Amino acid sequence: MNSKINRRKFLSNLASGLTFFTLSNLFLLKRLNAKSKPKVLIIGSGIGGLTCLSYLNKISDAIDIIVIDKNKSIRTGPLSNLVLGGILSEEKITFTIDPKKYRNVKFVYDEVKYIDSDKKFVKVSGDVSVNFDFIILSPGIGYKENIIEGYNPNNTELLPHCWDGDSNLKKFKKQLNDLDRNSKIIISSPDYPYRCPPAPYERASLIANYLKKKKNNSKILIFDSKNSFTKQENFFKEWNLYYNNIIEWIPRKKGGRIIKYDHQNKIIKNEQGNKVKADLIHFIPDQKASNIFFDSGVLDKKNDWCEINPTTFELKGFDDIFVLGDSINAWDMPKSAFSANSQAKVLAINLINKILGRKFVDPVFLNTCYSFSKENRAFSITAWYRLNTSKDRIVSLGSSQSSINSSHIDRNQEASHAFGWFNTMVNDLFL
Amino acid sequence: MKKISLFLILLFLEFSTVADDVSNLIVENCTSCHNLNNYQNKNIPSLQNLTKEEFIKVMEKYKDGDGNGVMARISKVLTNQDILKISEIIYNE
Ligand SMILES: Cc1cc2nc3c(=O)[nH]c(=O)nc-3n(C[C@H](O)[C@H](O)[C@H](O)COP(=O)(O)OP(=O)(O)OC[C@H]3O[C@@H](n4cnc5c(N)ncnc54)[C@H](O)[C@@H]3O)c2cc1C
Repeated sequence: MNSKINRRKFLSNLASGLTFFTLSNLFLLKRLNAKSKPKVLIIGSGIGGLTCLSYLNKISDAIDIIVIDKNKSIRTGPLSNLVLGGILSEEKITFTIDPKKYRNVKFVYDEVKYIDSDKKFVKVSGDVSVNFDFIILSPGIGYKENIIEGYNPNNTELLPHCWDGDSNLKKFKKQLNDLDRNSKIIISSPDYPYRCPPAPYERASLIANYLKKKKNNSKILIFDSKNSFTKQENFFKEWNLYYNNIIEWIPRKKGGRIIKYDHQNKIIKNEQGNKVKADLIHFIPDQKASNIFFDSGVLDKKNDWCEINPTTFELKGFDDIFVLGDSINAWDMPKSAFSANSQAKVLAINLINKILGRKFVDPVFLNTCYSFSKENRAFSITAWYRLNTSKDRIVSLGSSQSSINSSHIDRNQEASHAFGWFNTMVNDLFL
Repeated sequence: MKKISLFLILLFLEFSTVADDVSNLIVENCTSCHNLNNYQNKNIPSLQNLTKEEFIKVMEKYKDGDGNGVMARISKVLTNQDILKISEIIYNE
């Protein structure tokens, strides 16, 4: 064991030998016409993409890095429910990347329409193409259509789901604001797997918190496509304490799966054939990998998620295409910003190792998901992850969550930690 | 069930952290919340405010204590040797 290991050395060792000269020689072996530095293209400057960038940025004089995102200002998923609940302003979760942080990196704001995996280029709008040697994709999620008759997840003008940075938080807030007292709200919670498993219930809690203050006697019915959910006991405890007659949870077996929506009359119908009318119906759609994978033919329509190599994050069946974050099947790991951030570190480090023909680092991942029940109360679930012995899947070392008997001080401290984690992350990535 | 799985976990991580790379990756994950730069985060302490010895003490207290906060839960799967190794990585800088 080398006792002189330290972090700076670990990171700089990764980059050592990674000069333009050695790289172009390496590349000459592979592609006879290599005249330039290897080009790494990152699609998506959300949590996963930007974390990769922050690591690759350390070697940005030896490689060319281009980042493409369709949005210049990024709204985070984390803390977005606090915006809906009127606790935070939208600007607190909206960020633009400080270019000074990434001096050698080229940023393009455009939508990627197509990836050509053979010829190694992507198409953006106006038929412009950008070529690459290695491409990293962290484009978030896509939405399944035709799950609920009468509901189209792309119709975000009328029915904002607010499940990604594109969606209209303001519009949904206005819908809440326009409600009268004594209103009935339905929240439709999706089936697994989906981005941020506790977030529908956090959203219900923070909307209940808002209704309690502003819309007396209103009620939320959560129609759930599942029979249980993460941190359920903690949520139930909080709902009993604060939203006793406000939130009612309906599991799938008791009629929670909605199959039809009548927009005109604001009526839903469940699997059992029962109809319920409400003043506001909010759908959180069922999810799949981002459309770009299906549109480019690198993911078969019968699969919902990208299959990857858990050491390198290379897309199964493709060389030099790497995928992370919410679009992948990460086995035991949930789809979260914390997970995407942790995956990105392994991906970036092992991409450098791959470029230099070195041994891969054995992955270790961490995830912690905080959920708020009120402005000053939160609880969490956390787990470490490694690979199984055959190194073909990510396995949890056992997850643990906050005690349901946590004191107010504990809940309050977890809320403070949630803000602290968020601030460290956005400071590292954007500011 | 909890007892058994915790036992397996301990064996698993103890076995696996023989590689320096793994300890380094553990530290990279610490930095998701605890930044190691100069950025001051009022909600989460910077590890730079501790000495290596203090860090080891705090971590062992989390690990062996019966607290239920995130750090108490995260540290349960680390062995004392893991804690020593990650302290070397963080404080030899
Ligand atoms: C309500 C809510 C609450 C959440 N709370 C938490 C939480 O407390 N903790 C937590 O850890 N996680 C939370 N999450 C989950 C978190 O937001 C995601 O897991 C995380 O953002 C995933 O990172 P990503 O890189 O995969 O995708 P994203 O961060 O969504 O980044 C994807 C980026 O790709 C861009 N993009 C997509 N397609 C294209 C294209 N074709 N061309 C160009 N650009 C494209 C998008 O504009 C976007 O910027 C929450 C999510 C929601 C919805």
